[in-house]
Amino acid sequence: MNKNIKLLFSAMMVCLLVILAACGNDTKGAGGQANEAGSDGPVKATIGVVSYLTGGGASYGEAITNGLKLANEELKAAGEVDLELKIEDSAGKQEEALNAAQKLMNSDNVDAIIGPTLSTEMFVVGPEAELNGVTILGTSNTAEGVPQLGDYVFRNSIPETMAIPAAVEKALEKYDVKKVAILYGNDDVFTKAGYDVMKQVAEDKNLEVVTTETFQLNQSDYKPLLTKIKNLEPDLILASALYNEGAVILDQARKMGIDVPFVGGNGFNSPEVITIAGDASNGLIVATPWFAQKDDEKVKNFVEKYKEAYGMEPDQFAAQAYDGLYLIAEAVKNAGTNDRDAIRDALAEIQGFEGVLGTMSFDEDGDIVMEPTVLIIEGNEYVVFE
Amino acid sequence: MLSELINPYYLQIASFILLNIILGVSIYITLATGQLSLGHAGFMSIGAYTSAILTLNHNVPLVLGIVIAAVFTGLVGVIIGFPALRLHGVYLAIATLGFGEVIRVLFVNWENLTNGAIGIANIPHLGREILTLSKDIGFEPAALGLRNNQFISLAVFLLLLIITIAVIWFFIRQNNSRIGRAYASIKMDEQASEAMGINITYYKILAFGQGALLAGFAGALYAHMTAYISPSDFDYHRAVEILIFAIFGGSEVIWGPIFGAIFLSSLPEVLRSVSEYRFMIYGALIVFMMAFRPQGLIDMNVMNWLKRSKSKKKEGKHGTGSKENQ
Repeated sequence: MNKNIKLLFSAMMVCLLVILAACGNDTKGAGGQANEAGSDGPVKATIGVVSYLTGGGASYGEAITNGLKLANEELKAAGEVDLELKIEDSAGKQEEALNAAQKLMNSDNVDAIIGPTLSTEMFVVGPEAELNGVTILGTSNTAEGVPQLGDYVFRNSIPETMAIPAAVEKALEKYDVKKVAILYGNDDVFTKAGYDVMKQVAEDKNLEVVTTETFQLNQSDYKPLLTKIKNLEPDLILASALYNEGAVILDQARKMGIDVPFVGGNGFNSPEVITIAGDASNGLIVATPWFAQKDDEKVKNFVEKYKEAYGMEPDQFAAQAYDGLYLIAEAVKNAGTNDRDAIRDALAEIQGFEGVLGTMSFDEDGDIVMEPTVLIIEGNEYVVFE
Repeated sequence: MLSELINPYYLQIASFILLNIILGVSIYITLATGQLSLGHAGFMSIGAYTSAILTLNHNVPLVLGIVIAAVFTGLVGVIIGFPALRLHGVYLAIATLGFGEVIRVLFVNWENLTNGAIGIANIPHLGREILTLSKDIGFEPAALGLRNNQFISLAVFLLLLIITIAVIWFFIRQNNSRIGRAYASIKMDEQASEAMGINITYYKILAFGQGALLAGFAGALYAHMTAYISPSDFDYHRAVEILIFAIFGGSEVIWGPIFGAIFLSSLPEVLRSVSEYRFMIYGALIVFMMAFRPQGLIDMNVMNWLKRSKSKKKEGKHGTGSKENQ
C-alpha cells in the first residue's frame, strides 16, 4: 500500500515537473512585446488562426487558410502592415480549439485571433479570448449569440437570422406563397438554428406552415417525408440542411414531382449542390454574403488570384476569411500599434469597409452589418435572384 | 516570478489530461469485473447535462450541481447494470453503445430542456466561479502577481489535480480491499467466484455504478470547464476515445488507463508542430500498439518489473515479497 502511494506521488511529481519545465521554456515573451510603430516602417502584428484542418470538416479549414494566406500575401506586397500568421488546428473539437487558442494567446502572444471555424468551438473559445483581452474575429460562425460572447468577440460572417429572412422575402415578392412546408435536420447545431429562424420568419410573414418534418445527418432516404409534403401541396419549401443532405433532398423531391422552389439556409449554399443534384438543383434560393460571379473589380481580382494559387474557385469560407484578414489589417493600420486593446477599439470603429463580400460595418455587439445577396440556381448555375 | 512560470496554455492541456484520467479510471472500474462498456460517453453526457441544467436553470450552487450530477449518473448506471448482467463481452459492448446513442438522441429531441442540437451555452465556468468567489472573500489574484486568466487556469488545474489524486487513491485502496479482490476474481472466472460465495450480481452492478458515477462526475466537470455542451460532444467517438485510454495503456492495473489518458491526450498537443500529420501519427501509433502489445502498454509484468528495479536500488533490503500486492 505504501509503495502504491509513493508511486502515485512520484508519478504526479514527474507530471508537474514536466509541466513546469514546459512552462519555463516558452513564456519568455509573456506580457506581449508591444512594438510602437516607427514613423516609417509598417506596423507589425502577429495574428493567430484557429482552424478546422484535420477531420470531417477539413475542407472548410483549408478554404479559410487559403483565403487568409492569399490576403496576407497581398497585404505584405502593399506594405502598409506586416502581419505574421500563426495557424493552429482545432480538429473541429471544442477542447482542441480551446487548447489551440490558449497556445496562441499565451505562448505565441498573438495580437488578435481569426477563427475558430465552427460556432460550437467559438462558444468555448470566445469567453476565454474575452478574458485574455484578445480580439477574436469569427469568419465562419453563423450561430446566434456569437458576437454577444464579449466585447472582444467579432464576426464577419452573416448569421442565419440575416440570410434566411432575406431569401424568404425575395421569394415572397416573386411567387404567390400562402402555404409553406419546413424541413430540417434536428441533430445538427447549424441546421437546427436555421430552422428556428425559418419558423420565426414564417410566423412574421403570416405564412401557413402545413407541416414541419425532421431528418438526421447522413440520412439517405427522404421519400417518406417528401411524400407527405407533396400531398399537402405547399407553395414553397423551406429547407434547413447542409449541402450534402440538401442536394439529395432536392434530387428526390424533383424525381417525385415536387417542383415548387426551395429556400435554403447558409449551409445549403455550395457549388456542390449542383454537382450532386444536377438539373434537380434548379429552383433553390439561398441568401449568401458571397457571389463569385459578381460584376466587381475586387471580386474578379480575388477569384482570379485564388484560382491561380489553389486551382479552384474560392467558396464563401475563403472569401469571408480573406475579408476577415483585411478587416484585421485595417484595424491594425488604424491603431498604429499591435496593442491588443487598441486593435479591438480600431476594429469596432470600422465602418463601410469595402471587401469582396460587399460593404461591411460592425454593430455595437461586434456583429457584421451588410446586405446579403440572394441567389437562385437556374440552368445549373447560381444567378442573382431578382 | 510566479506569473512568468504559469502559462494558461499548459495548464489547460494539463486540466484536460486530468479530466481524461478520471474518465480512464471510470472505464477501468467497469473493465475490472470484465464488463466491456461503450456507454461511458452516454454517462458522461448525463452528468454534463444534469449539472448544466441544475446550475443554469435552477440556481443550484456549482459544487452541489456536480455532486448531484455524479450521484444521479451513478443511479442510472445501477439501473442499466441490471439488464447488462445478462450480457457478456461484445454483446454488452453493443448494448451499451446503443444506450449511449439513445441518450444522445434523447438530448437532441428533448428540446425544451436541453435546447436540442444547439446545445447549452453560458454554463457557469469552474474557474470563473472560483475567481468571483475569491474576490468576494477579498482575495485578489494580483496579490500573487497573477493575471486573472492565469489564476483561473491555475485554480482549475489544482482543483482537478486534488480530485484526480483522491480518485486514484480511493480506487487503489479499493483494489486491495474485499471489493477489489471480488472484482478481480469475477474478471478471472465468474462461475468459480460464484462457487466461492461471491455475490456476482452485487459486485458487477456496483462496478457498473461506480464507473457510471465517475463518468458522470467527469462529464459534469467537463461542462463547467468548457462552459458549453451539445449532444454531439458525447457521440460514439467519445465512447471509443475513453475505451482507447484503457486499451492503449492496459486495463489490468489502474496505472494503465491513467498512462493511456496522459499519453493520448498530450500526444496531439506535442505533435502540433507537424499539424496535419498529427492524427495520422496518432492512428499509426495505436495500430502498432495493437499489433505488438495487445494487452496494453502497462500490465502486471511491467508493474512487477518497475517494483523490482526499484527495490534493487534499495541496498541491504530484501527486494522480494508483496509481489501480489497490486
